[in-house]
Amino acid sequence: MKLRSRAALAAMLTTGALVLTGCGAGGGDAGGTPAPGASGGTLTLGSLVDVTSFDPAASHVGHYMQYYQPVYDTLILREPNGDLSPMLATDWEYDDTNTELTMNLRDDVTFSDGEKFDAEAVKANIEHFKAANGPQASTAASIEGVRVVDEDTAVIELSAPDPGILLYMAASAGFMGSPAALDTEGIIADPVGSGPYELDVAATVTGATYTYTKRDDYWNPDLQKFDKIVIKSMQDVTARVNALVSGQINAGLLDAKTAVQGEGAGLTEITNPVDWQGLFLFDRAGSQAEPLGDVRVRQAINYAIDRQSLLDSLLLGNGEITSQITGTASAGYVEELDGYYDFDPKKAKALLTDAGYPDGFEITLPVNSADTIINAAIVQQLADVGITATQVVIPSTDYRNEIFTGKYSLGYYGIFQGDPWVAINHHIGPNAAFNPLKYTDDESAALIKEVQAGDDDAAQALTEYITEEAWFAPFYRVNQLYFFDKTVTVENQLQQAVPSIYNYAPAA
Amino acid sequence: MLIFLLRRLVAGVLLLFVISTITYVLLYFSSDGIAQNILGEFATPEQIALKQAELGLDQPLPVRYLEWLGGAITGDFGRSWFTSEPVVSALFNRLPVTLTIVIGALVIAAVLAALLGVAAAIKRGWVDRAVQLLSLAGDALPSFVVAIVLVTSLAIQARIFPATGFVPFAENPTLWLMSIALPITALVFQLVAQAAQQFRSAIIDVRRRDFVRTLRSRGLSEREVVFKHVLRSAAPAALTILSLQFVGLLGGSVIIEQIFALPGVGPLAVLSTTQGDIPIVMGVVVYTVVMVIIVNLVVDLVNGWLNPKVRVS
Repeated sequence: MKLRSRAALAAMLTTGALVLTGCGAGGGDAGGTPAPGASGGTLTLGSLVDVTSFDPAASHVGHYMQYYQPVYDTLILREPNGDLSPMLATDWEYDDTNTELTMNLRDDVTFSDGEKFDAEAVKANIEHFKAANGPQASTAASIEGVRVVDEDTAVIELSAPDPGILLYMAASAGFMGSPAALDTEGIIADPVGSGPYELDVAATVTGATYTYTKRDDYWNPDLQKFDKIVIKSMQDVTARVNALVSGQINAGLLDAKTAVQGEGAGLTEITNPVDWQGLFLFDRAGSQAEPLGDVRVRQAINYAIDRQSLLDSLLLGNGEITSQITGTASAGYVEELDGYYDFDPKKAKALLTDAGYPDGFEITLPVNSADTIINAAIVQQLADVGITATQVVIPSTDYRNEIFTGKYSLGYYGIFQGDPWVAINHHIGPNAAFNPLKYTDDESAALIKEVQAGDDDAAQALTEYITEEAWFAPFYRVNQLYFFDKTVTVENQLQQAVPSIYNYAPAA
Repeated sequence: MLIFLLRRLVAGVLLLFVISTITYVLLYFSSDGIAQNILGEFATPEQIALKQAELGLDQPLPVRYLEWLGGAITGDFGRSWFTSEPVVSALFNRLPVTLTIVIGALVIAAVLAALLGVAAAIKRGWVDRAVQLLSLAGDALPSFVVAIVLVTSLAIQARIFPATGFVPFAENPTLWLMSIALPITALVFQLVAQAAQQFRSAIIDVRRRDFVRTLRSRGLSEREVVFKHVLRSAAPAALTILSLQFVGLLGGSVIIEQIFALPGVGPLAVLSTTQGDIPIVMGVVVYTVVMVIIVNLVVDLVNGWLNPKVRVS
């Protein structure tokens, strides 16, 4: 064979191979998506995360909620402003001891496999949630069991009063799947819930595109604002911003740097201060790092940090500096505390001298390998008041696990600003996972007890105490920057990284 | 020929075994935080212990490795610890996407490099200098920089191509082509740069040889001499470079797949490695080694086909 024909043959074979390989994969849609329009249409979202399992017990909160909400209803609905509304439960009531929560349920709901939703379904779901050991399993820790009173009445029995339970019933623990599907393997890829949409498995590619289509016999057509919802998993912010500005997705989360592109493309931005970032001062008893046991030293650290410069240079100003770890919408928020510690290195040095460290001291600081700039800033600002921080670099993938093991006396981290009881369980209480050295003292323990009993004033007193005792050195609240195009309207969801599915509607 | 293939296959299997063992051992020593990663930040120590037992993380290394090996030999690579998806199906679903852009980029780069190399070697003068400059530029520009420029100009501003996403050929051939055009172009730049230089040097060298003079003296046109004979002799050098680049592409395509949100093996590899999803990581490693072995073998065979002189007997 001559070279020409050989080459031609080779070219044809390769093209054929290419075509065949292209056949194999599933895919999403390219190009622009059809606009939602006023009476239905498709909503396409870009998501930071990928759903790993559609088992409701495997659900996480935050970004993951968008994957579960189309197919699963929760017992309680959380409104954008944080209020609780009926959903699968019509109303609920505690008994006098606050350990029995009676929930009255809707009687007109069926799952997409035809099974009826009733109190038995609630029992099956909550038991499955606890047994499955999923990422949010600890939110059901105080639930001992569920008692079925009759078909549409269930009583959730608690081991102790838990002010967070109603919130958890509006989140992962509250997702209700069909009992028949719960313990099957199929539910991982094929959810069976009572939600407004159903997963279109044929049009879904794991790790890339998830397509949900409107369910015909859904009990609340008002929540079905679209005919179809498509969620594209796009971890990379470059892909997300490109998809947004070119019209491939209607909405998505950007960061400080890509926000500029979003604004330039004429997209609407809504901000949500979900997290605070700053230093956790774990060793308040001084067991490992003796200086930290003195409140003046911890306060000195607070005075040493130039919050505004950090916010301006790292987040381009997208946030708000603060000295308290409580968010503005929380019952424990005290407005005056936002500016409790200003940037005052002189005062920091004076406090250190008072505490007996006129020449400062040395401390080991774990740092995330990916946060080079903030690490340098922290080390510099601490050094300016005499505190020499020896950095221990931890690979970013191990960072979160490492710093909360109790090996370190302090560490930089970002965490959500939850409601008082949620925050206590998360990073304030003696057994909180993010309080690794289990620090507790009488005054905070007493306040925590009162918060558990439902006392909002105690929540504020606790915030004041924690701030004055400098348990942390918060830097700022970080704004989530959510962008969307002209075809939709979106409302932010309180304390949630991205809006709930229910908060989107076609633009008029 | 058969013995050659057999020897290569045996060598390939040995290589697979060695690399998978080393990888597994390395992963074993970094598997501390995996259960915590799966369960999330709220996990209690009891939950973590339960998860570790479930995944076999509390077993000693030899036991764990032999269990994995036993499954792997029969084709069962287990399931992802995070998504419960079977490793084999996770890889197979994503392979077509990665191979499409990698093979597409290689083929186009090979053709372009051959043409540019011939032009530079034959014409010399300003053409040669231009090609060398282009090669320098292509070599210096990382593929993701090219990708971003392409996306900004052709996808966002001009709206000709989609900015992200992959459309399978079966769904819509035209859209398929549009969805792979930018990723492939971004990859081609760097590939052409190196391969063109190789072609150019090899062609200049071959043209000086005696047999070429003989062909010319027999009255063959320059075109026939170059494309039918010289190129065949010069091909092995460039094809070897391309086979090396293929290996590099398996890793280099990861960032392209992230930027264009293509559901290929790249993002899977990155995510599984950072999370510690060992079954998937092992699957990716095995697949990568297999790809390298196959490509090296294919290149050797193609070289032999094009140029009988380098054929292995």
